[in-house]
Amino acid sequence: MNERRIKIEGLRYNPEKDTQPRFQTYEVPFTDDMSLLQGLQYIKDNLDGSFTFRWSCRMAICGSCGIMVNGNPRLSCETFLRDLLPGPVRVEPLENFPIQRDLAIDQSRFVDRLASVKPYIVPAREKPLAEGPHKQTPGELAAYYQYSQCINCLLCYAACPQVGLNPNFVGPAALTLLHRYNADSRDVGWSARAEVANSEGGVWGCTLVGYCSQVCPKGVDPAHAVNQNKATSALDYFGLRALLGGGR
Amino acid sequence: MSEIRTYRRPMGRWWTKNPTYRRYMAREASSFLLFAYALTLLYGLWRLSQGQAAYEGWLAWLASPFAIFLHLLMLLGMIVHTVTWFEVAPKTMPKTGLPERAITLGGVAAAAFASLVVVALAAWWGTSR
Repeated sequence: MNERRIKIEGLRYNPEKDTQPRFQTYEVPFTDDMSLLQGLQYIKDNLDGSFTFRWSCRMAICGSCGIMVNGNPRLSCETFLRDLLPGPVRVEPLENFPIQRDLAIDQSRFVDRLASVKPYIVPAREKPLAEGPHKQTPGELAAYYQYSQCINCLLCYAACPQVGLNPNFVGPAALTLLHRYNADSRDVGWSARAEVANSEGGVWGCTLVGYCSQVCPKGVDPAHAVNQNKATSALDYFGLRALLGGGR
Repeated sequence: MSEIRTYRRPMGRWWTKNPTYRRYMAREASSFLLFAYALTLLYGLWRLSQGQAAYEGWLAWLASPFAIFLHLLMLLGMIVHTVTWFEVAPKTMPKTGLPERAITLGGVAAAAFASLVVVALAAWWGTSR
């Protein structure tokens, strides 16, 4: 395979030394089958061992390696260097998050938001083990399946200006998981998570920019999940939700 | 646990960074032109309440070059708003099973058809008097 070279401009920030980030350029040899993540690994292994970034599975499942690639949020493992020619490629940590070091962000705010939406099944009724498994029809599965594909990679948070502008906004992925559990027939539904959904930082924090759904690597469509719930939340506000059957 | 020192990037002019953001801002900004059109109509209604002379003064203003330019601008805003509104409509409604593009195109086509019917009726009413 013929070997080519591409320049990668990486954002560098060392919290112990730097007052603000700077860019450092590396020249990386690559083959056609190399991902951007492999390019970053080449830098770390051969050029600069201090270059910091997160990664794990290398196959778009773990959601660790999200970065800004030329200004767009991408998983670096499924972005190929051959598609970024002629370069240079500018890599930065995900937007709207504080930078911890180089390409690594501080996700702690997201983790708190995620916990706030109860991202687990709150059972509609306690079911004894003896009654066997919960059964769902294909229709009941389809109601939430797409939203359950989220891998918490945070590309949607980097795509959402409201996440950066509004510190209270719960954000696309967590609100999508809120909808995913509300829509599950085994779950008690809307009432378990109404307080978060109805809050200022809940579904109403979304202004429907829609870029979250464009960048999602798993086709989850957060914009749809969030905005369907605005109708439910409005009905809830007027006390009409139970009457008109908005949400579940 | 010791506190982690982090760097927060300024948001600055975030809407210039990406074509999707610019499109979003165009959608939101076009609503001001819709608002301006609503005000224009309300102003006409108010002039009507003040008698025939006032109303005819308003009609005369509508025929001025500035008013025509303003209406063309508002029409442009209306078209941008309609198209971008139907582009996001599939995101705000429950799942239909239809492709999103079909909802957008269907909505824009229905809006265009309804506008044509209204314009045709107005023209017919105007000429048959």
